[in-house]
Amino acid sequence: MAEVSFKGVKKIFPGGIVAVEEFNLEVHDKEFLILVGPSGCGKSTSLRMVAGLEEITDGEISIGGKVVNDVPPKDRDIAMVFQNYALYPHMTVYKNMAFGLKLRKYPKAEIDKRVQEAAQILGIPDLLDRKPKALSGGQRQRVAVGRAIVRKPKVFLFDEPLSNLDAKLRVQMRTEISKLHNRLETTMIYVTHDQLEAMTMGDRIVVMKDGRIMQVDDPITLYDHPKNLFVAGFIGSPPMNFIPGRLTSEGGAVFFGDGHIRVQLDERLLNGQVQGFMNRNVIFGIRPEDINDTQEVREIRPNTSVKAKVEVIEPVGSESIWYLSAGPATFIAKVNSHVRAEVNREKEIVFNVAKAHLFDPATESAIV
Amino acid sequence: MDTSGGRFLLYVCLIAWLLAVVLPFGWVIVTSARSTEEIFRAPFGWPEDWSGSLGANYRKAWVKSHFEDYFLNSVLVVSSSLALLLAIACPAAYALARYHSRTFRWLLVYFLSGMMVPVQLLLVPLFFQYKDWSEALTVALSPLFAWFGQNHVEVSLADSHPGLVLLYVSLSLSFTLFILTSFFRTLPTELYEAGIIDGCGEFRAFWTVMLPLAKPGVVTAAIFNFIGLWNEYFLALVFINTDKYKTLPLGLAAVSIQANYRSDFGLLFAGLVIVMLPTLVVYIFLQRYLTQGITLGALKG
Repeated sequence: MAEVSFKGVKKIFPGGIVAVEEFNLEVHDKEFLILVGPSGCGKSTSLRMVAGLEEITDGEISIGGKVVNDVPPKDRDIAMVFQNYALYPHMTVYKNMAFGLKLRKYPKAEIDKRVQEAAQILGIPDLLDRKPKALSGGQRQRVAVGRAIVRKPKVFLFDEPLSNLDAKLRVQMRTEISKLHNRLETTMIYVTHDQLEAMTMGDRIVVMKDGRIMQVDDPITLYDHPKNLFVAGFIGSPPMNFIPGRLTSEGGAVFFGDGHIRVQLDERLLNGQVQGFMNRNVIFGIRPEDINDTQEVREIRPNTSVKAKVEVIEPVGSESIWYLSAGPATFIAKVNSHVRAEVNREKEIVFNVAKAHLFDPATESAIV
Repeated sequence: MDTSGGRFLLYVCLIAWLLAVVLPFGWVIVTSARSTEEIFRAPFGWPEDWSGSLGANYRKAWVKSHFEDYFLNSVLVVSSSLALLLAIACPAAYALARYHSRTFRWLLVYFLSGMMVPVQLLLVPLFFQYKDWSEALTVALSPLFAWFGQNHVEVSLADSHPGLVLLYVSLSLSFTLFILTSFFRTLPTELYEAGIIDGCGEFRAFWTVMLPLAKPGVVTAAIFNFIGLWNEYFLALVFINTDKYKTLPLGLAAVSIQANYRSDFGLLFAGLVIVMLPTLVVYIFLQRYLTQGITLGALKG
């Protein structure tokens, strides 16, 4: 049971490559925290610094209130699950799981008890005598998780543990790891590049880019209130549409854009900051699910509909993805599959402006 | 090679190759059971008296021509060379493969460049080196010998088994490091990291996690070196003069040199078989690792 805290952590690799900088974060006790970002954003490096596999160039990491910068990995009381499982191929499943306990000189009976218990939890009691090469990917992943949980560590670290599994198994293991977290009630730090994995599993999500933290929030806040263009584009699938254009005011109302796309902004978005951007270029952000066909909307508010050409339709089940264009702007809408549309025809669509976002093109941070 | 014609050609080539290897070998074994007179009468033929000539030839070789001693010497020298070689090369190769600093890179290049030096070139300097070291050792160890009540003991590295072992180990090190380093490089770093997190120190991670994984590579290195050292003639010839220290290849040569006086080819063939047999046995039992080691090393060099 432990908090993990990062204070001004920085990592520079030999050759001067800055992997992580200005990393400040408090991971609460028993929290499931996700580090997410594109490859090379420093999320794995941050995790490996907690594990002690990477040295910390500057700053401080503490686990359970104790600074661990100079504590070797084996004394940090952490366990880690690797992307490629990293099971010892020359040991049986049982020995793989017992190895850490054996090194720590636990009595045989205790080791056996814990291994059997973990095997029960993970549903692998039949596999204990097998070697890793005789296991499927999903089973290997379970063993890797088992090896971590028998140790009963203060903190679990997961480094993209599901990315080697096929899509179906990934979804299944995702739920199982979430269940495991509820059951073990231990601090978990989980690295992934998959925003869906991040959204579904995390208590809180840390979005990273180029070695820096972009935003830390719970999944829904992250989704509804992205602090900048990067987070807005990274979280959500299909990603948020970004349309550049000008803000203008007309008779007390504020409009975005001109010509092909011109919509009146919702009053709720109009805070003091927006006034400062009047007659300036901004980036208008709107999620695909907030663009609807006129049929889907009960009441169309004035100045929120746009005529757009449907270029491609991708049905994905209950919903379809429409690729639309209006003048130079292209954007994506997610609409009910039962709404009919024809490719290469114009269609009137409605922007749910109450859910729109505005970003400053210069700083890329959110205006509203 | 999918067409039946291509397949046929492949089999013809393989069978030809097989015969080229097996026939001379079988000939040596069969002939080792024939007397010299028989061999001269008809070089290719079956033994007239299997058990008689076979027993006579091998007994002569083993006892009278001292193959007994040569064999023991060879086993002693080769096994201690291999043990020492692997004890040095495994940790060294592991370190060279794992750490990527500039120093380690150059160190590896330095070791590997040893493979480019012809042994013949080293003979004279080595001889003088051994002479100097022997003198130094004699002086250094004299108090120890005196303590055991032995005065005037002269240590000699040349013409001794430890001296030969030292030569074998140092001259095999480059090649062995070459094989093992590239092998250790193929092992995933995550396994080392998993070991470290599970509670290993550096040495234990090497010993209980990485070394067992490198087994095919280690066995490959061991077999190659075994074959090389077991058949090593040149260095042994130059550095070993005393008969009782001689290794098998020298013993075999001695038999054929004796042929100047009385050519005993039956004995010679029996000696050949004695020399070949251990290599064959080792190969048969470990060939699985050998092929595995070669292909694994080849995938990621």
